[in-house]
Amino acid sequence: MPTQAPRLLEAHDLKCIRGGKELFSGLGFSIVSGETLVVKGSNGSGKTSLLRIICGFNQPAAGRVTWCSESIHGHENYRQQVSYVGHQSGVKPDLTVMENLVFMQRLAGENSQEPEIRDVVRAAGLFGQRNMMTGKLSAGQKRRLALAKLQLQQKDVWVLDEPLTALDKEFIASFEQVLKAHLENRGILVVTTHRELKIPEHRVKRINLS
Amino acid sequence: MLDVFLTVIRRDLLLAYRRRADLMNPILLYVIVATLFPLGISPDAEFLGKLAPGLVWVTTLLAALISMESIFRQDFEDGSIEQLFLNSHPFSVLILGKVVAHWLITAGPMLLIVPLMAMLLHMPVQAVPVLWITILLGTPILSLVGAIGAALTAGFRGGGVLLGLLVLPLYVPVLIFASSAVSAAADGLAVSGQLAMLGAGLILALLLAPLAISASLKISMG
Repeated sequence: MPTQAPRLLEAHDLKCIRGGKELFSGLGFSIVSGETLVVKGSNGSGKTSLLRIICGFNQPAAGRVTWCSESIHGHENYRQQVSYVGHQSGVKPDLTVMENLVFMQRLAGENSQEPEIRDVVRAAGLFGQRNMMTGKLSAGQKRRLALAKLQLQQKDVWVLDEPLTALDKEFIASFEQVLKAHLENRGILVVTTHRELKIPEHRVKRINLS
Repeated sequence: MLDVFLTVIRRDLLLAYRRRADLMNPILLYVIVATLFPLGISPDAEFLGKLAPGLVWVTTLLAALISMESIFRQDFEDGSIEQLFLNSHPFSVLILGKVVAHWLITAGPMLLIVPLMAMLLHMPVQAVPVLWITILLGTPILSLVGAIGAALTAGFRGGGVLLGLLVLPLYVPVLIFASSAVSAAADGLAVSGQLAMLGAGLILALLLAPLAISASLKISMG
């Protein structure tokens, strides 16, 4: 579960250059537990790059991201408090749905019991496909599996890059409930999406990179 | 931490089992060299026996190089490398797990087939155990050093050529000490010096390569 003490994720004067082109500069934000940062922008405006900088995968050309006032690159525990769902699902096509989640949990050092994992698979609408190779799932089903991981790991910071892509209306509605529960548990959400999310508006901050 | 390290190995071994056609590549390369080389050069037993140490080791080196390209490719394509990075355990330890799994997958079949290949190439019997030991000591170095190059080129399309250019010069000392040990054993000479050098190289690679591989992967992720 996300921790109860308030957490602070900040960025100061971020600058990002990709392929010789400056995508953004002087970018900053500050979000605390229970808040959401929605990143908007046209294609190629640097949304994914910003999310990858927040996760620590990419280094900004200038500026820094801090977690509880300490740089994320020097922070001992930051990486273990971040869940990331990017354009790729992060699941192995040659493992079954259950195997993927079991290995994800074990690699995270958590010993989730099989019934708990089954419940999450059921909630993701993948129970009928639980023993199917992930490579044979549709794009939407792979996305559901990637998002199911969030519920199992329950980390503080969820960084989601277009999480609603390929999902149907019913699953989007249930996923919005999951996001609300995460924020009520004092989690932090950083998300890029072209759709409006139904989450408490008064705790949403927005950045437009266009 | 040991649990997570073993989980990485178990997962990669299971994935390799599910794609077991890929496991055949090093064995096929060995069989092709062992059967075609005598046909193409000379079937003379004494001549082949003299060439065998170098021949087996060059084949080992090429088999290791061919398999290296794939070690991180799938993880980059499916996004699981990022999931490994966002882990409470040191990235270098998890990556070492991947390299160990890769070594078991590629060197395991080699260790089984190498005595047979030695016999096909008429290698003197007293050199075969030494050949086996050099494979056991040398192939982990090839995997560890090769993984540095594979990590650096993981983000490139067609990184195989670049991988060869980066890694082959670093493989040369292993080739020299290993084939020299096998040749010395065939001539009835002492081999402890060469084996000690391979052992020292393995310890050095085990200590330093995981850090270099994880740093290279971070560069490729960016």
